[in-house]
Amino acid sequence: MRSGPASAEDTIVAVATPLGRGGLGVVRLSGPQARTIADQVLRPVPWEARRVRRVLWCDPEDGAVLDDVLVTFFPAPHSYTAEDVVEISGHGAPVLLRALVADLCRAGARMAEPGEFTRRAFLNGRLDLTQAEAIRDLIDSQTLLQARTAAQQMHGGVARQVGPLQQALRELIARMEAGIDFADDDVAVPATAGLAAALHALVQRLDPLRTSFRHGRVLHQGLSLALVGRPNVGKSSLFNRLLASERAIVTATAGTTRDVLAETVSLDGVPIRLLDTAGIRESSEAIEREGIARAWQALGEADLVLGVFDASLPLAPEDHRLLEHLRAMPQAMLVLNKTDLPRQIEDGALPEALAVSAVSGEGVTELRTLVRQRALPELSAAGSWITNARQAACLDAASQHLEQGGGALAAGLPHEMVLLDLYAALRELDALSGQTTVDDILEVIFATFCVGK
Amino acid sequence: MQSSERYDVVVIGGGHAGCEAAMAAARLGLRTALFSLNLDLIAQMSCNPAIGGIAKGHIVREVDALGGVMGLVTDATGIQFRLLNSSRGPAVWSPRAQADKKLYRQHMRQVLEGEPNLRIRQAEVVDLVVEPQPAAAGEAPRMVTGIKLRDGGVVSASAVVITTGTFLNGLIHVGETTYPAGRSGEPAAHLLGEALKLLGFACGRLKTGTPPRLDGRTIDWSRFEEQPGDSEPTPFSFQTRRITRPQISCHIAYTNDATHAAIRDNLGRSPLYSGQISGVGPRYCPSLEDKVVKFPEKERHQIFLEPEGLDTHEVYVNGMSTSMPVDVQAAVIASIPGLERAAMLRPGYAIEYDFVQPTELRPTLETKQIAGLFLAGQINGTSGYEEAACQGLMGGINAALRVKQEPPLVLSRTEAYTGILVDDLIARGADEPYRMFTSRAEFRLHLRIDNADSRLMPHGRRIGLVGAAVWQAYEAKQERLAVLERFLREHRPDPASAAGAALYAKAGTLADRPTAAQLLKRPEFTIADLRPWLDAQLPGLLAVQTELDPAGWEQKTVETRIKFEGYLAQQQRQMEQVRKAEGHAIPAHFDYAAIPGLSTEVRQKLQRVRPQTLGQAAHIPGVTSAAVTILHVQLELQRRQAAAGRVALLDAPSGSLAADGPAANVIAVPTHPRPGA
Repeated sequence: MRSGPASAEDTIVAVATPLGRGGLGVVRLSGPQARTIADQVLRPVPWEARRVRRVLWCDPEDGAVLDDVLVTFFPAPHSYTAEDVVEISGHGAPVLLRALVADLCRAGARMAEPGEFTRRAFLNGRLDLTQAEAIRDLIDSQTLLQARTAAQQMHGGVARQVGPLQQALRELIARMEAGIDFADDDVAVPATAGLAAALHALVQRLDPLRTSFRHGRVLHQGLSLALVGRPNVGKSSLFNRLLASERAIVTATAGTTRDVLAETVSLDGVPIRLLDTAGIRESSEAIEREGIARAWQALGEADLVLGVFDASLPLAPEDHRLLEHLRAMPQAMLVLNKTDLPRQIEDGALPEALAVSAVSGEGVTELRTLVRQRALPELSAAGSWITNARQAACLDAASQHLEQGGGALAAGLPHEMVLLDLYAALRELDALSGQTTVDDILEVIFATFCVGK
Repeated sequence: MQSSERYDVVVIGGGHAGCEAAMAAARLGLRTALFSLNLDLIAQMSCNPAIGGIAKGHIVREVDALGGVMGLVTDATGIQFRLLNSSRGPAVWSPRAQADKKLYRQHMRQVLEGEPNLRIRQAEVVDLVVEPQPAAAGEAPRMVTGIKLRDGGVVSASAVVITTGTFLNGLIHVGETTYPAGRSGEPAAHLLGEALKLLGFACGRLKTGTPPRLDGRTIDWSRFEEQPGDSEPTPFSFQTRRITRPQISCHIAYTNDATHAAIRDNLGRSPLYSGQISGVGPRYCPSLEDKVVKFPEKERHQIFLEPEGLDTHEVYVNGMSTSMPVDVQAAVIASIPGLERAAMLRPGYAIEYDFVQPTELRPTLETKQIAGLFLAGQINGTSGYEEAACQGLMGGINAALRVKQEPPLVLSRTEAYTGILVDDLIARGADEPYRMFTSRAEFRLHLRIDNADSRLMPHGRRIGLVGAAVWQAYEAKQERLAVLERFLREHRPDPASAAGAALYAKAGTLADRPTAAQLLKRPEFTIADLRPWLDAQLPGLLAVQTELDPAGWEQKTVETRIKFEGYLAQQQRQMEQVRKAEGHAIPAHFDYAAIPGLSTEVRQKLQRVRPQTLGQAAHIPGVTSAAVTILHVQLELQRRQAAAGRVALLDAPSGSLAADGPAANVIAVPTHPRPGA
């Protein structure tokens, strides 16, 4: 309820380059808060109009450097949208770009609607009439598409999941509103403890939906699996086993995979993008050093990491260093390759590793199952997963507003203020499951309470 | 036609809307006449003897701030004042007062008679004089030029405000009995009702009801819980410093199993349940039979026994609205311990009446079809004295401004409940009697009773309804508020002083020396805690405030501004967005059919309501935000095309509604605005 026209005062954010393969990715922020939001996420930026600056993007929690990015500031009205625009270019890995957008949203930006940058450019007079007329049709079709998508969602699994939560929130709001608007009638003012419990229950019911986004995204976009290991442990052979094709150059000479090779494979319908990396070792060869650097980068950005070790040799110092890294990574799995050869590796060195042989195919089926399970723990519930980043952002925001409301309630703030947070949460759920109007709330009140004298 | 008299503004109906409309027009300097069927019943409280209540009390404050009279008359005739929701936050505190019904009528009559530009006349108006008017953009094709009376007389007028309440084709139901009436004991306005339909207005039928009245001497008062008024009554008007009239008490009663059985056993005789009544009644004010049927699990329903006045024994049984036959009403009353012997002075009844769909109206309350004709109050599908009064005031103001050829006054949803009420009505129409609730307000924290003056008095002053003395008092108050707020924000209580030490003791440990405002933001502090410190710091200001404002409202206002400034600022930002949308005018003959991308359903809704601004469009149910975006883009495109000279037309000036007023400057409208068409 209470939604006006989409506001031009929000600061919006989106990834501006096609997601996926590119080496670089650009995230664009537009709106009056563009700079202050970027300042919160990036180390303080020495802003200067139209000058490229190099800054660090750090983890908001532990301060660890996540990426080294370039930012450019285009002050209003000399920008694409005629608003303040900040462009951030970083490495193109989708997982990084998504995380950057998420950080910016937490700092106050809103995910842009499809076509919104162009719409703003138009409404702010940046486009001439001819361009504007062409773009009008584009906006119409995009808006139609949105409407159609929304309509589909309303009958889909997501709406079925969100609908009951939305209704529960409406009822909670109605109880509080009845306590305000009909306080003089025989309507019991809802007790704070009961309301707090109801709010908490709502947040908990939202949680599984929110976490399903990770699964949903996997189903939708797939995820990446990087194979890492010392040179010649058989990464490329394993890669090809998983692909069941001869994609990577495989020789017995160490260091032939000089760059990151990528190929997508479908494991039980889940798209998995395999990244075969150069072997990790100290190297004097320039071209190989470059490959190794990229291997480390791929490892950092991949959704899943498969550490490959050679069962036919004792663990090398490089293996130990890699193990130390991998054991600290929750997304890492270990395999012990070359089980077809005589075993030389120390007994009990890698108890958690899965034994495979890329040559004989032993253990490969188990490996595929393991990867698929790590990617998607509960494939069976896929129908109602959240697959779209906007939906996920709505759920996150709803949850955040509900938590805020709980805080306000606990702080003893009047119900009409707590309700601001609850209405904000309801707006987010409305975006997934159909609009609530003030009449819907009154409907609940009149159906629930005998009000009126 | 021969006119016997001529006025600038004629008001038809002397209820709560009519009184405000007539006073506003007259006080704005126009020759005004108010026509009523019975001058003795001007400002009659047809239902309960009370003004205000949650959200309604807000409206009365707004009427008062704009220069209306309801607040002053209530303050003068109130016999029990209560501030409702006082345990809640400041945004939903709302004053309510029982008024002496007879005193209220008499006082209002005196107010009307004291206004030199106003004539009051007893006569039945049966029709309007309507003439075609030359085509002008934004103007209706017809205009009203006067009224026709039952005796054949014609009165000419430049503007007419109709405020006929439930009188249009009113039909009363008491059990199986029905008879035409405007209210109990008064004739309906049948001819005027038919005339409005013939003029082409979309009409509907609504229903409302009222409870029986009892003789207080036959009630055993000892059986009921007493509900006294507040010890410090909260007045409605900015001009009232203190209520001095002695307060009376009301009493609270409850229905029981026997009451409910009496209702259930006789449902077949209820006009509501036998199908005799077709009009739609309000869900928030259900009849007792509705309560019993719809909430069978509820063991008892609350009833208030409210005296109708100081020199009468008549008691209003609030909560027992019913249209059951008289013998059933008697049984229902007798079933309540303490009312066994109660004598019924008048039975309750239901009334059905015609209303005009308010989608027929512009935001000024002028009809879209007939220029100069304004509708206000229950005729627009609302319910309640306060809802009627604020419409009467706005209708009267805009009728006067039209005659004076001045820009109209349209209140935004962001500044007044009155603005919300009008916007809701014209965008959505009425499908049950419309009552105000605070939950209808998007920006509830800003629409408070304590700031109604700062929200609206500047409007009242600008148009000329707020006099110099009141304005001076207003400005002095604003200055005091600013001084107090600034002082609290800038000064830090000194822990070495006695008053400061007390504050520190209350706060527990304080790391640094906070300002008084910072202390006030802590949940455990109220402005009252700061009083001893303030008394020492600002003795002059506090003394003035104590004298002018004994209840301490000014300090509460400052407390609210500081304590909730985060929430207020958040709403302020959203309000700016709504104001922008409200300022985006849509030309009167905008061609929705020519916009690609709108669904048929949305297009039909827009064509039916014809919103005047993007903000209104956004409030039409079923108009999605995607559709509003498309509209926005299209409007902008047309503006550009116009500016580029590709279409010889002008759009209404952005941010102004004046294009539809008398000073219309819309030159032409596009019939097919798409390029190349």
